[in-house]
Amino acid sequence: MKKNYYELTYIVNPVLDEEQTKATVAKFTDFLTNNGAEIDEMNEWGLQSLAYEINRKNTGYYVNAYFNAPGELIAKLERQMQIDDNVMRYLTLKYDNKMLAYRELQKSGTVPQLRERATDEEKN
Amino acid sequence: MLKNPQHPKKTNYRSRECLFTKSGFNYIDYKNIDVLKKFTNDQGKILPRRVTGTSAKFQRQLTLAVKRARHLGLVPFVAENFR
Repeated sequence: MKKNYYELTYIVNPVLDEEQTKATVAKFTDFLTNNGAEIDEMNEWGLQSLAYEINRKNTGYYVNAYFNAPGELIAKLERQMQIDDNVMRYLTLKYDNKMLAYRELQKSGTVPQLRERATDEEKN
Repeated sequence: MLKNPQHPKKTNYRSRECLFTKSGFNYIDYKNIDVLKKFTNDQGKILPRRVTGTSAKFQRQLTLAVKRARHLGLVPFVAENFR
């Protein structure tokens, strides 16, 4: 079966205690692995403050994952995310060639940095 | 009109270079909040191309990246205590 490279970020309800948070994260990780996904990298960013209030909360527990999976999985995954009350937001992205190239750079740690604007003296 | 030294046409606020092209970007990541913040104003609005000088190609990517970041609560839709 053809597999694509995906990135998933979701925000778990911060009100839960540690065990419940872990259980929620484990639930989705298991869901991925049980449905034919190979997890490439997983990062838990932990509790972070949100830029604006979501569901009357000012913080969120961020989880970020990269994985290879067949396309049919994504619809199922998003359905599960919507059903679960503890997931406040999620975002899945399918990686195209440009993004894959960026991901390679990220892995080797050579992501280009934004340069400063040239000052007027430099221009003249 | 053009006698006014404050007029935007007179000031050199617009820059004619795309920072993304210059720095060798090929994809703008929505997780890279520091970069996104440079291209939004205090209110959280995306700055227009005529101000930042970003190329059309990267402006489209930038818009998408900012919108993704907003969805995940990384960047505000509207800054809260903006006066």
